[in-house]
Parts: sequence; structure tokens; C-alpha cells
Amino acid sequence: MPRLGRWGIVTLALAVLGTAPYWVTSSYLLGVLILCNLYAVFASSWDFMSGQTGRENFGHALFVGAGAYTAAFLNVRFGLSPWWSLPAGGLVAVLFGLGIGLPTLRLRGPYFALATLAAATIMQRLTVIFWEQTGGEEGLSGLTPLLRSPAASYYLSLGFMLAVAAILVALASSRWGLLLRSIRGDEAAAQAAGVNTTLHKIGALLVSAFFAGVGGAFYAHYQLQVGPTLFSVVVSITVIIMSYVGGIGSVYGAVGGAFLLTLMTELLRGVGQYRLLFYTLVLMAILFFLPRGFIAPLVQRLRAGGSPS
Amino acid sequence: MVEILVYGAVTSAIYAMLAVGFTLIFGVARVLNLSHGTFYALGAYFTFTYNGLFKIPLLPAALLAIATVAAFGVLMERFLVRPLRHSALAVLMITLAVSLLIEQVLFLIFGSEYQNVQSFVSAKVVIAGVDLGGQRLLTLGVGTALIAGLWLFIQRTRLGSAILAVSQDPTAAQYMGINTNRVFSIVMAISAALAATAGVLVAPFLTVQPGMGLVPMIKAFSIVILGGLGSIPGSLLAAVVLGYSETLVGYLISSSYTELVSLVAILLALILRPAGLFGKLVAF
Repeated sequence: MPRLGRWGIVTLALAVLGTAPYWVTSSYLLGVLILCNLYAVFASSWDFMSGQTGRENFGHALFVGAGAYTAAFLNVRFGLSPWWSLPAGGLVAVLFGLGIGLPTLRLRGPYFALATLAAATIMQRLTVIFWEQTGGEEGLSGLTPLLRSPAASYYLSLGFMLAVAAILVALASSRWGLLLRSIRGDEAAAQAAGVNTTLHKIGALLVSAFFAGVGGAFYAHYQLQVGPTLFSVVVSITVIIMSYVGGIGSVYGAVGGAFLLTLMTELLRGVGQYRLLFYTLVLMAILFFLPRGFIAPLVQRLRAGGSPS
Repeated sequence: MVEILVYGAVTSAIYAMLAVGFTLIFGVARVLNLSHGTFYALGAYFTFTYNGLFKIPLLPAALLAIATVAAFGVLMERFLVRPLRHSALAVLMITLAVSLLIEQVLFLIFGSEYQNVQSFVSAKVVIAGVDLGGQRLLTLGVGTALIAGLWLFIQRTRLGSAILAVSQDPTAAQYMGINTNRVFSIVMAISAALAATAGVLVAPFLTVQPGMGLVPMIKAFSIVILGGLGSIPGSLLAAVVLGYSETLVGYLISSSYTELVSLVAILLALILRPAGLFGKLVAF
């Protein structure tokens, strides 16, 4: 395999993605690429918290849905400009993150995993039960788009995804990222070395929730509607499977995993209907045969040229 | 009043059947089984298949359904969970994957519409002028009897002692000559059978559809966290607390708010007493 080096890979990916509107002629395909960008934000933000610290979040949909519904409320109910949705969606998701993180992350064990799964599912039920405010099963529609032109929307989503990925990769490779990985390695040892692990886990969750919330708000303004399925286990598990395919803990792998799975399910005829079945089978295969994922090891091989680093 | 008492007890019995199995497999094998709700759904669907489609009489169909789900649980533990037991995260992922897979398969076979399962008892039971429904009372009776039976089995038999021993220290139990893998299989069978029984019993009066297991499983989580992970008495007490709180909230405020009770229970338990009512803190 050719040796590309880190910047070679980044340049190649940027060249392909940056010119997409020129060679992707169908607006449907461009829409799929926008979805890829948004799922890449969801997956990499999941991977930043759960991949670095090893505390598995089974309810990332909670933050995506919180951001999306915030956008819908502000835009549809209060008529605010869609640009306010992005920071507001992020902030509301951070509040949800505090609510879940404060009681659960000070404990070790499975409490965080169970509480996130439970909270997202219960939010989904509540959006249906309080239909007068949330629109029930149908959700809220009639949101205004951020930008009108498809190409401009694509570049906005691409810029957003690249910014989030760059920030998260930078954070993960900083001293703080090292600290977070020490929690994954051995939390007791990290504590013994004087690390306030609870504080750092909550911090990582808030960063993760913020970007998922902004992404959720962006998603709402792209789909022009929100619905209770945004809070569903399906969204959470899709995001997790994307990170698994990418290789957990690498952040950029999650971006690759999101592109690979979204493109595969949207483009392979017939898969769309059985998407969830396909995703679960992919997850089972990865758990048994490729525990390190697919994208990150591939990128490492390309960087080093042939031999795995 | 009688209605609240009985309905609360019925809800508690269903929750107890689900939560005890969930906490048992965690306490013994340290497996957090996110496909526990699947056992509940499969119990209802197998009863529907055997009784409604193959025309087997209801009682044998129900027993066969429970046995099928127990066998499914054992096979799942043996071939999917056991190879991944070195990683708690992988166990969570594989069990969640199994639950989504089964939900999709049920969806492909039966579609998303609600299926009807015949009642075991159609008799009306009227106490103090209120019709309580024979099926609900049967659920309460069977649930109580099964849990009492499980308690006696664990406390009084050799196999029960082996299960307790493995839950306290698997390595030491293995040194004492206990086949821990066999104990895991047995516990998985019990856990799956209890959840399936709950599904079979509620099928006539609740909706049977592919995603029916998720919310009851979330209730089981909250009960188990409230009662203390791995503690059976804690789960029983917490099941009663949650069952009655939901019934009371439903009657006094609005049935819309019953969904919130379990979330509030989880958060309160984690803030005030993370170890649960009777449990020890677990870490892995």
C-alpha cells in the first residue's frame, strides 16, 4: 500500500469532500452527503466521551433529540431565526448532559449506561404523551432551512463537521485527552494519581452533548421537521455502530464509519428497508471479528504504508 | 380503593418477574442483559404463534413458549455472550444487538400491527363492585408463586447454593468444584423463563407488538437500580414501590405521568442512595 502520511490522508479526504457539489450532480446524493456530515458529528461526539473514557453512553439520541426539539420550539413556536437554534440546541443538550452525568458519572459500574438508555427512551415516550406541546407522533414541522441552496447547505454541513472533528481530535490528542484515556485504562489508578475522574468524565460528556445538540439542531433545520424517533434507541445504536465500525477511541474513525454506513445504506438498493437489521449484523460481526474496528486500522496502515503501526 | 390495591399489586408482580431475572443474571454472571425485554416480547409472540397459528391449546402453548424462550436465552448466553465476557462493554453491545435483531425479525415476520392473544381466564372477578379481570388476578397469583418458588429453590437446594456461591465469588466457587459455566446457563434459563412468563401473562391485556419489550425493560432497570444491582430482595421491594407509585400517580394525577415515575426513581436512587435499598455498589 502507498505511504500517504497523516496530511496526505487529510488532503485526499478534503479534496474529495470539498469538490463534491461539482461532481455529485443529483441533489438526492448531495442530501445523502449532508446526512453523512451530520451523522459524522453525532458519531464523533459520541466517540469523544465514550471512546476516550470508556463510559458507554447508550442514549446519545437524548442530546440529538434535545437539540432538534429546541430548534423546532424556537423556530416554529417563537419564530426565532434558525441561526439561534445552533447554540441554543447545544446549550439545552449540555443541560441534559448535566442532569444525567452528575448523578451517574460519580459512580463506577453500569449506572451511566443504564441511565442514558432509560432517559432517552423515556424522553421519546414523553414527546408522544405531551403531544399538545410537542406535536406527538407527527412531531413539529415547518422549520425554516439555514440556507436555501443545496450546495451552500452542503458546504455549511461540511464546514461544521470538519470544525467539530478538528476540535474533538485536538482535544483527544491534548493532555486532557490523555487524562480521559487514563480513566478508560484504570480509573482507580487515575484517581490514585490525583486525577478528579468524576469532573473529567462529566466535562467530556458535556463536550460530547454540546456537539450532538448543535448537530441535532442542524439536522432539524435540514429535515425541516422533528419527531419522537429522534430520541429512539435506533438513533443511539446507529451512532454507536458507526463509532465501532470506525474503531472506538479514534474520533476520526467515527467520521469514516458514519460516511461508510450512511452511504452504504442509502446507496445499496434494497438495504434501506432492512437498514436496522443490516446495522445490527454489522455490529455483531465487528464485536466478534474486528474488535478494533475497520476505518482506524485502515488509516493507520495507509499512513505507515503497508505495515500496521 | 380496591382497584388501586389490586392493580398496583398486579403491576408490581409483572415488574418483579422482569426485575428479578435481570438482577439474577447480573448478580451471578455479571452480565447486564440488555436483551431482557426481548425475552418478554418473545414469550408473548411464541404464545401467539403456537396458540393462534398452530392451534395448540393455550396452556400447553404458553408452557412451550416459555420453554422456547428459556432455550433461546441459554443459546444466546453460550454462543454470543460467553465469548465476549472479558469485556463488559462488549456484553452490553452484543445483548443490545440481539434485542434489536429480534425486534427486526419479529417486525419482518408479523409486521408492526398489534396481535391478540387469548385470555387464560375470561371470568370476571368482581370485588366490592369493581371488575378486576380474571387475567390480571392470574398474573398476580402466578407471579407471586413463581418468585416464592425461586426463593425456595435458591435457599433450599444444592443447585441454589451453587448459584449463591458463584454470585459471591466465581473463582472460589470454581475451586470448590462448581461448574460455573453450567450455573450461568441455568441462571440464564431461569431469567429468560421469568421474563417470558411475564410476557405470556400480560399478552391478553396489553398490546403485543415487536417493540413491546423496551419500556418494561427500562422499568426493570429502574427497579434494579432502586433495589440495588444484584439484590433479589431489593428488586422485590423496589418492584412493589414502583408498581404502586405508578398506579397511584396514574389515579391521582394522570396516566401520562406514570412514565416519569421510573426516571425520577432512577435519578433519586442514584443521587440519594446509589447502592440501592439493599445492594452493594458494584464496579467493573
